[in-house]
Formats: sequence, structure tokens, C-alpha cells
Amino acid sequence: METLFLVVRNLKARPVRSLLTLLGILVATASMVLFLSFGEGLRKALSAEMTKFGPQIRVVAEGTGTFGVPNPELGPEVLSTLKAHADELGIARLFPAAVMMKGSGFDPATTFLFYGLPEGITPKDLAPAAKVVAGRLDPHPDGAVVGKQKAEQSRLTLGKTLRLSRKIALPIVGIVDAGSGFANSFIFVPMKTVQEALNTTNYSVILVYVKEGYAADEVAEKIEALIPGVDAQSTTEAVKYAERAIRIGDVIRFGISLIALIVGGLLVANTVMMSVYERIREFGVMRAIGARRGFIFRLVLFEALLLALSGGALGVAAGIAGSQVVNVYTTHAVGLALSAVTPRLVLFSMLVAVTLGMVAGVIPARVASRISVIEALGRV
Amino acid sequence: MKKPILQAKNLTKRYRQGEAWIEALKGFSYDFPPGVTAVVGPSGSGKTTLLNLLAGFDTPTEGEVYLAGNPLHALGEDDRAGVRLLHAGFVFQSWNLLPTLTALENVAFPMLLKGVPAKERTERARALLAEVGLSHREDHFPRQLSGGEQQRVAIARALALDPLVLFADEPTGNLDSAAGSRVLELLVRQAQGERRVVLVTHDPEVAARAERILRLKDGALIEIQERP
Ligand SMILES: Nc1ncnc2c1ncn2[C@@H]1O[C@H](COP(=O)(O)OP(=O)(O)O)[C@@H](O)[C@H]1O
Ligand SMILES: [Mg+2]
Repeated sequence: METLFLVVRNLKARPVRSLLTLLGILVATASMVLFLSFGEGLRKALSAEMTKFGPQIRVVAEGTGTFGVPNPELGPEVLSTLKAHADELGIARLFPAAVMMKGSGFDPATTFLFYGLPEGITPKDLAPAAKVVAGRLDPHPDGAVVGKQKAEQSRLTLGKTLRLSRKIALPIVGIVDAGSGFANSFIFVPMKTVQEALNTTNYSVILVYVKEGYAADEVAEKIEALIPGVDAQSTTEAVKYAERAIRIGDVIRFGISLIALIVGGLLVANTVMMSVYERIREFGVMRAIGARRGFIFRLVLFEALLLALSGGALGVAAGIAGSQVVNVYTTHAVGLALSAVTPRLVLFSMLVAVTLGMVAGVIPARVASRISVIEALGRV
Repeated sequence: MKKPILQAKNLTKRYRQGEAWIEALKGFSYDFPPGVTAVVGPSGSGKTTLLNLLAGFDTPTEGEVYLAGNPLHALGEDDRAGVRLLHAGFVFQSWNLLPTLTALENVAFPMLLKGVPAKERTERARALLAEVGLSHREDHFPRQLSGGEQQRVAIARALALDPLVLFADEPTGNLDSAAGSRVLELLVRQAQGERRVVLVTHDPEVAARAERILRLKDGALIEIQERP
């Protein structure tokens, strides 16, 4: 590109203004990258979560939210029915659990989710990647095994006592790294202890492993058809549901960053327009020598594009740095890297920056290319 | 028939001024022969108007103008620019050079427009700067050059694509007499072979260097003076 060196020369001739404009686009792009990185982070965390979480279906009472804590409303007959039809439904293995939440539910540090597992079932059956960090893996017969992140967050260590109700308390006998954000915030205890604390013989949830060759969402549908009043949630369904929520969030976040982008675009348009007005004589000389309109048009458009592209690239870099800072914080607070700058986000941001440059450059470029030689040179 | 290199036929330019029309150029006809032709006349007599039409900067209200065989009066903006690039060179009174480019790059600029390869451009620009005695100023920017040096760079640039016509509008108007005569000397020297040099001036001493003088008055060509 022969014209590129002319563009660079001109930008260098007004370094402060060029730099300030660059900074404006940098900030606009970086804020967009950072905003949208949350959606990408959630997606990534979600899919990691779903593959690390063992059972493909959780059966809960109707009315439980996709990611909600289920109430103990499944009677023993649900379990026996499922067991009786397991083979024809395509169920490889199933076990019940009783879940109880203590605390506000708002502040993660003072919220406790007790996950009651039946005898013979350990956290490994829920999260196959689980590894013992300290103590032992199995909470049975009368201990509590705490997820690694929960332990850090609420400063729980081996030997401490956890109280489920006024009468019932369990010592911590193990810390486990479940490899997943969900399971890592659970406290695994024997199921009978939770049932005792809740004063029930019901289950909160029945977890189902699907046989090889069966599709989880089809099995879930058959379970719902077989047993009235239950909701069989498959992980694929949950991912779809979450994906929709994230997408809505994306649109809102992009809407907000659009404001910054528009300001950035106006900045480029203003800089380039000013530089066009300052250079009317220059364009006149070029046209007198024999430059065609397209040459001047490209010259000005490239100036806007170069500003937008380099500002955009720097902005993406700044966004990546910002995303890492955010992740240090959210990993500490909720155990998940919430922000991710994926290749497609980088691509999208650069595309937005280029479009910005184009739009901001077209009008000044048109104005510049229409300047007449005699007016430009004051030969009137 | 031979293609006219620089010819005007009944060239007329009228400007509207409110209700009235001003006739800045009235039926100018002339076939410029090779060599230096000066165009003289008092202020407002139509010299700049004539040059604008001959160079294709502007379009005539009536009449025809040919540059290197091309009918400028019938061509659009971009086509006229194309003809200028290949066949005409310009030296204005001031503000000739592109301020963000060095002397060498300014001289190379028309070749860049034409698409001459970079190495060839630089070589030719060096040779041209040497010809006008400015080899030691190759990497200087216009603001670092004196008025006379700037005009000499402009002459070098005007010659970059070896044009058939060289237009100069008051090229010495802003210079002291020493620098002025050096620039004039250079310009006159470029009238070789088929090349036409058109020198617009109101300075009789400058006009005296031309082989013929066209005198304008109120937009009309009133005298053609051939010099021995
Ligand atoms: N764009 C224009 N609009 C109106 N009048 C013009 C314009 N350009 C030139 N003129 C008029 O045309 C006449 C010739 O001007 P010009 O060619 O500039 O003369 P010179 O260069 O000999 O001084 C003057 O009366 C001038 O006022
Ligand atoms: Mg004039």
C-alpha cells in the first residue's frame, strides 16, 4: 500500500491528537471486550461444569428451577418406580440425594449447601474428577466432606464442627476438590443426616446416569411421561436454558458498550474531519499534480481505518489484561473465572473497530475527495 | 493532423456575480508553440482564469482547450487529473509542496501517483534534485527550506514525469531577486524540444525572458509580442 506511508506521515505530524484519538478507541474497545468477556466466561464455565458433573439427568419435583436448590418432595415410590423401569428407560445407574440449604443464600461465605448422599455413594459419584485434598472422600457414617472452594471461602478446616440443626452437628472429615465450581461449593454429608434435620423420608433429587447409546434429553422426557409430578432435567437442557439467559445478557452488555463505541467513532470522525479541513491546500496540490478523487478518498479513509484498527487492537489487548484482573477477583470470590476473551470475541471486536473506522471515515473522505483544485489553492 | 499539445479555441469563462455576469476570459484562442510563452496583464485581467482552464483545473463556459491532444473541455474531473499527471507540471507562487513529505518524497510524488516502482522513483527524484542543485536537501522537509529552495524542489517535481507542458504562476512572486533569477533561469532552461513553458507574471523583467508575450486586458488577448 503506497498510500499507507502518507497516512502514517500525516498521523505522525500531529502526534498528540493522533494519540488521544487512539486512546479514545482503545478505551471504547477495551470496555466492550471486557463487558462481552463475561458472557463468554459464563459459557465456558458452564460447559466445563456440565462435563465435570457426572449424572446427565437430575429428577426433581416439578416447579424447581433449572439451577435451583430442590425441596425434599420426592417420595420413596418415585425411586422404586424408576428402579423398576430403569432398564427400559435406558438408565445405567441412579441414586437419590437430600439437599438442604442453610444461611441467607445471598452471601456465599455464610450460605451452606448440605448435600446428603446415600450409603455407598461418595462425592466421586457426583463429580467423577473429585480428588481428596485433606482427610477422606466418604462422609459416611457420620462426617462432613467439604468442597475445596467452600472450605476456603468459609475458612473450614478438618476437625471443625458443622451444625445442620439445633440437635444435629457433624465434624469435618475431609476436604475434596470436585473439579467443578458447583460441586466445589457443596458440603457432602450422609443422606440420613439431612433427612433427619429436615424431618422427612423424602428425597430432594434423584441423579441418573444414562446408558451408553441413549440421549439424555430423550430419557428425561420418558421419565417425565412415566412419573407425573416430576421434572427430569438433563444437562443438555440446562445448557440450552443457560445459553439463552447468557445471550440476553450479551445483548444488554453490548448495548451498554455501544455507547462507548459511538463516542469512540465520533472521536475518530472528528479527528479525521479536522485533519481534512487543515489539509485542504494539501489535497488541492495533490489534485493539481494529478491525483484522482479516489486517491484522496482512500487516503482519508485509510487514516480513519488505521486509527480504528490500531486503537481496536490495543483495546483488545487492554481488554484481555482487564479480563485477567477480573478473573483473579472472581476466582477468589465465587470460584469461577467469569471472564473469558475467546478468539471469536477478539474477532468480533476487531470487526466492530473496523466498521467504526469505515463509518467514521466515509464522510470526511467524501468531503476531501470533492474539494476542487481552484478553491483549495485559493486560485479564485 | 498533428495533435495539439496546448491549444485554446475561443476559450470563454463567465462568472455569475449576483444578478450580473463577469466575463473573466473572452474568446481566447491560441496555439502555444514550443518554448517559453509569458502571459502578462494587470491584476484582474484574467491570467489566473486562463491558466486554470489550460490546466483543466476548471471548465470553460464556452470554447475548447486541448492538452497533449486531449480535449479537456469535454473530460470529467478525474480524466482531466489523469491528463495533468502524465503531461503537465506545475509551479505555483507559493504552497507548492506537501508539508509532511521530504524534498525527495515530494519530487517522487507524481511518480507514486503514476505507479512507478519505489526504487526507480527514488533514483529519478535524486537525479532531479541534483539537477536543481539541491542534493544536500533531499531529506529536508519544506519548512526547513528557503523560499527559493522550495520553488526549485517544485520545479524538480514538475519535471518528474517529463511533461509536455510546464505551467508556472508567478513563480518568483515571493522571492528576492537573487533567488528569483535562479528559479527563473531553471524554468527557462526546461523549454527543450517539444515542451511548452507557460509563465504567468506581471513582472516585465520576468516576461522579458520569454520568447513571446501574450498580453491580456479585461479578459481579452490584446497583443502577441514575438521576441527575437
Ligand atoms: N470564482 C470567481 N467568481 C467570480 N469572479 C471571479 C472568479 N474568479 C475570477 N473572477 C473575476 O474574473 C476576473 C479575472 O480574474 P483573474 O483571472 O484572477 O485575474 P488575474 O489573475 O489576471 O489577476 C476578475 O475580475 C475576478 O474578479
Ligand atoms: Mg492571478
